[in-house]
Amino acid sequence: METIQYAIRKLLYSIPLLFGVTLIAFTLMVYFGPDLTYSLLGKSATPEQIESVRKQLGYDQPFLERYLMFLKEVVTFDFGNSISTGEKVSSILARTVPVSFAVALPAFIISNVLGVGLALIAAYHRGKLWDKSVMVFAVVGMSMSYLMIVIAFQVIFSTSYGLNWFPVQGWVDPIPDYIDAGFFETIYYYWYYYWLYVTVPTLTSIFVSLGYNTRFFRAVIVEEMNRDYVRTAKAYGIGNGRIMVKHVLKNAMIPIITRIIISLPFVIIAGNLVLENFFGIPGVGLVTYDAITNGDLPVVKAVVTWTAIIYVFALILTDIAYKLIDPRVSFTK
Amino acid sequence: MAQEKPLLTVENLSVEFTTDSGVVKAVDDISFEVAAGEPVGIVGESGSGKSVTALTLLQLVPDPPGRITSGRIELDGIDILSKSQAEMRQIRGDLASMIFQEPMTALNPVFTIGNQMTEVIRVHRKVSKKQALQLAIQMLDTVNIPSPEKRVKQYPHELSGGQRQRVMIAMALSCDPKLLIADEPSTALDVTVQAQVLKEIHRLQEERNMSMILITHDLGVVAETCKRVIVMYKGKIVEVAETKELFRNPQHPYTRTLLDSVLTLRD
Repeated sequence: METIQYAIRKLLYSIPLLFGVTLIAFTLMVYFGPDLTYSLLGKSATPEQIESVRKQLGYDQPFLERYLMFLKEVVTFDFGNSISTGEKVSSILARTVPVSFAVALPAFIISNVLGVGLALIAAYHRGKLWDKSVMVFAVVGMSMSYLMIVIAFQVIFSTSYGLNWFPVQGWVDPIPDYIDAGFFETIYYYWYYYWLYVTVPTLTSIFVSLGYNTRFFRAVIVEEMNRDYVRTAKAYGIGNGRIMVKHVLKNAMIPIITRIIISLPFVIIAGNLVLENFFGIPGVGLVTYDAITNGDLPVVKAVVTWTAIIYVFALILTDIAYKLIDPRVSFTK
Repeated sequence: MAQEKPLLTVENLSVEFTTDSGVVKAVDDISFEVAAGEPVGIVGESGSGKSVTALTLLQLVPDPPGRITSGRIELDGIDILSKSQAEMRQIRGDLASMIFQEPMTALNPVFTIGNQMTEVIRVHRKVSKKQALQLAIQMLDTVNIPSPEKRVKQYPHELSGGQRQRVMIAMALSCDPKLLIADEPSTALDVTVQAQVLKEIHRLQEERNMSMILITHDLGVVAETCKRVIVMYKGKIVEVAETKELFRNPQHPYTRTLLDSVLTLRD
């Protein structure tokens, strides 16, 4: 009950925050975004044509008016149609967001779980060979450029120079009409092609984020291991593994959860911006990337707004997770 | 006291710590005995090696940087220093228990009192969770914590410092240890609470006829609870005496200084 009240209160507080985000984003788009007039009209346009296109695009309205129009779009979640394709923005998002989640989620889960596991091992063997090996691996992972890893993994996994196991890029197509697939065949088809296309992006993504995660988690866990309650547990004969996994990990969970949840919007939106572009995956990242380069404002506005909203929800979720982990956290203050 | 074998025998024990500025001898060739059922105090200033001695008895000195360089510890017929860490786990909390100085941080903040107490009980005794909880409640009652059924569901931060230290005592005694090592059990508490907690430890020690090593820098604490006192200074034992004898007729100049410091505070 207390939790629900808290969540509602937080949601109300976040409304001004969302206004702030939209205002900044909109200002940036208006003053620094591309002017579509000329790209639509080409080189030899008459002043009258320019005038009429500017009117069509709403560029002749004063700033406040345009911002209010944007706010109306935000409140109704109706961002209109994409300028480049004419498709409704909401249907673009409905089509691409699930794809992005399908690409990002396995990597996100694996790299965090693996990161915590490796961090526990490294922290437990602090200063010994295991710790050093894990840390060397982490630093190597952190130091290599994302783009280089994308290319390297594509060469290793998807070309005849390497293993040639997976396609270089692309995404699952729907089953062609002329094939009459049954229920299990359909599942098998999607399952097979999903892993065929998602494996290399997932490995790339894990490789890039694992180093950062492991280093951070290790630092948190090492700090917890120096606490007095660990010594108490040892002095009462509790096994080392149990101390690490039960006592230390639960205490270390607060910073770990914070990092994981806060990284979520980054991973889904920003991370995929690069990844989807390189692997030709039709997710929200690719659409956003195209929208930014083409000056497709309705799509950019929608993505920015939704990111802000997801962020706010993620933060509320983090606070609730704190309460679940640490009994000392109180919502009432 | 009949001349039976002492419960704890420490012979020529030395512990070194490797630091950035070289090797430090924290404990330097000490020997002492604790008889069954006997309360013994170890006093000394900070850094005199008394806490390290206590930790060494259960092989709890972190290695590295700590290293036991020589000596023998025999506890209830068991050669402690020949045991592996895994074997020591059987002994810790069962044959010998320890109470620490900081009741604020010595308990895990994210688990309930009951959870932590039953965990210790279940490591050493083959009992169900329910039985362990029953035993935990009984132990909390023994250390005079009011409404123990409610306390087991609470978290450490919901208890006062004195109550937390009582929980530590209950936890330490839950498996009926033959030796209780109390490392400055009252130092971090309010003066009034200090007296209560010490009285509790003293009462339980006598009731259960446990051997006890009480480590403190406060001679007043020792005077009330211990029969014999070991005075440590710079890693060495400088004096061992019956408590009354020590107060009446201190032999070592350091002991005299220590006693003087107490008296000036009381005057």
